[in-house]
Amino acid sequence: MIRMRGVDMYYASDKPALTDCDVDIEQGEFVFLVGHSGSGKSTFIRLLLREILPSNGTITVAGQDLTKMKSWKVPYLRRNIGCVFQDFKLLPNKTASENVAFALEVIGKSRHVIRTQVPEVLRLVGLEDKIDSYPDELSGGEQQRVSIARAFVNRPPLLLCDEPTGNLDPQTSLGIMKLLERINKTGTTVVIATHDRDMVDSMRKRVIALESGRVVRDQDRGVYGYVD
Amino acid sequence: MSINVGYFVRESIQNFRRNWVMSIGAVVTIFLSLLLVGIAMSFGYIASGIVQSVESKVTIQVFLKDGAPVADVDALQATLVSDPLVKGVDYVSKDEALEKFKTDMAESPEIVANIRGNPLPASLDVTLKDPREVEAMVAKIKANPQFTKIADRPSNPEESLKYGQQVVKKLFAVTRIIRFVLIGFVIVLAVVSLIFINNTIRIAIYARRKEIAIMRLVGASNWFIRTPFFMEGILQSLIGAVLAIALISSTTAWLLPKVREAIPFLPLTLSSGDMAQISFVLVLVGIMIGLIGSGFALRRYLKV
Repeated sequence: MIRMRGVDMYYASDKPALTDCDVDIEQGEFVFLVGHSGSGKSTFIRLLLREILPSNGTITVAGQDLTKMKSWKVPYLRRNIGCVFQDFKLLPNKTASENVAFALEVIGKSRHVIRTQVPEVLRLVGLEDKIDSYPDELSGGEQQRVSIARAFVNRPPLLLCDEPTGNLDPQTSLGIMKLLERINKTGTTVVIATHDRDMVDSMRKRVIALESGRVVRDQDRGVYGYVD
Repeated sequence: MSINVGYFVRESIQNFRRNWVMSIGAVVTIFLSLLLVGIAMSFGYIASGIVQSVESKVTIQVFLKDGAPVADVDALQATLVSDPLVKGVDYVSKDEALEKFKTDMAESPEIVANIRGNPLPASLDVTLKDPREVEAMVAKIKANPQFTKIADRPSNPEESLKYGQQVVKKLFAVTRIIRFVLIGFVIVLAVVSLIFINNTIRIAIYARRKEIAIMRLVGASNWFIRTPFFMEGILQSLIGAVLAIALISSTTAWLLPKVREAIPFLPLTLSSGDMAQISFVLVLVGIMIGLIGSGFALRRYLKV
C-alpha cells in the first residue's frame, strides 16, 4: 500500500524534517506513527498526501509513484486517501450531513449516490440522530466522528489520521480509536500519527517510532515506548 | 466524471447569498472602479468631439478678385475638388460674403451702417479631409497658376489666402496634448481599478480558504474548485458594470442638454454609438478583471 525508499525531506537546508526513511505498510494494516513534536510525524503524513514532495527518495502509494506524479493527477490520488485531522476541518456553515455530502459533491458524485451513502456512513460512526446539527452544536468527539465519516464516505483504501485524538479526552479518544479499528476491519489501511501514549499501549498495533526525522523503531504489536 | 452544472449554479448563488457582505463589497468596488473608467472615457469622447468640431472649422478661404471670369473660377474649383486632400469646396459670392459679414456683425450696427458698396471679395472655401494637412494644401494652392490668375491680390498671393496660420499650429498642439492626457488618464484609472478589484477578490477568497483547503483534501480537481469562484467573479463584475453603465448613461442624458444650454458654443455630445462603445469596454474590462483577479488570487491556494 505504502512504500518509502530513502526518503529525505528538508524544509530549510540545514536540518532535515525526515531523513533516510524506508517504510513499507501493507494493505489492511493498522499502524501508529509515534514521536515527539517535531519528530517528523506530520511531514510523514503530508508526504503521503503529496502536499509536499520529498527532497530525495521515492514514495509509492497504491501503486503510484508520488514523486513522478503529474500535479493535475493529485486530486485523483486524494480521492483514494481519507484524512482526519486534530482540528477536524469541518465547514462551520454546513450541517453534519452537508459536510459529509460536500466530500462527495466535489468529486462529482450524483445526488442519488450522496443521498444513500451519507446517512449510511453517519450511522457507521454513530451520529444518525445528529445529521442536521451544525459543527458548533456538536461535541469534540462528535465533530471528529463527522470528520471521520467525511474521510470514509468515499470508501478509500487508505485512511491517514494526524493526531485524531489530540483535542479529545481519554474516554472520547477510546471511542474514536474503536471506530478507526472498525473501519480498519473493513479492509482499509489506517495510519495514525499520535502521541497519545495510553491509546497506543492499549491498542497493541504496529508502531513506527520517529525521532528527529529518523525511524528508530518499527515493531508489531508495539507500545509507545518513550518517556515523555 | 459527470459535469454537474446544477451544482455550480447552486453553489455560486448560495455563496453569493451566504457571503453577501463580501459579494456586495466586491460589487461596489467593481462598480466604482468601472464608473471612474467610464467617466474618464465619456470625458474623452466628449472632448474629442469638441476637438474634432474645432478642427473641422479649419478651412482655407481663397479670395478671388472682383470680376474674375466664371470659367476660371470654375476651373480652379474643379482642380481643388479633385485634390485628394480636399473634402469640399464652396463658392461664396460677393453678396453672400456681405450677408454673412452683416449677420456676424449684427451687434455693431455702426460698422454695418458705414459700409458703402461691397468691399468684400468673393471666395472659395476649402474644407479638408484631415485639417492637419492645412499647411500642405496652402502650399499647393499657392503654386497653382490658376489661383494666381484670379487671386484677389495677384501681386501678393499670401494675402489672398486666409486660414489662421498661427492659430492652426497652436490649436493642433493643444488638441494633441488633450488627447494624450485623456488616454493616459484612462490607462491609469484602468490599472488602479484592476488593483482594486484584484484585492477585493483576494479578500473574498481568503475568507474562504478553509473551504478550499477541504475541497483539495477530499480530492476536488482544481477546475472544480475554480469554477464557482470564476462564475461569482463574472456575476459580480457584470452587476458592477451594468450599474456603472446605467449611472453614466442616465447622468449624461440628463446633464448634457443642460450644459449645452449653458455653453452653446461648445458642441457637447455623447452619441449612442459612443455610449455603446463605453458600455462594451466596461463589460469586457469588468469580466476580464473578474476572471484574471480570481485566477491570480486562487493560484496561491491551489498549488499542489
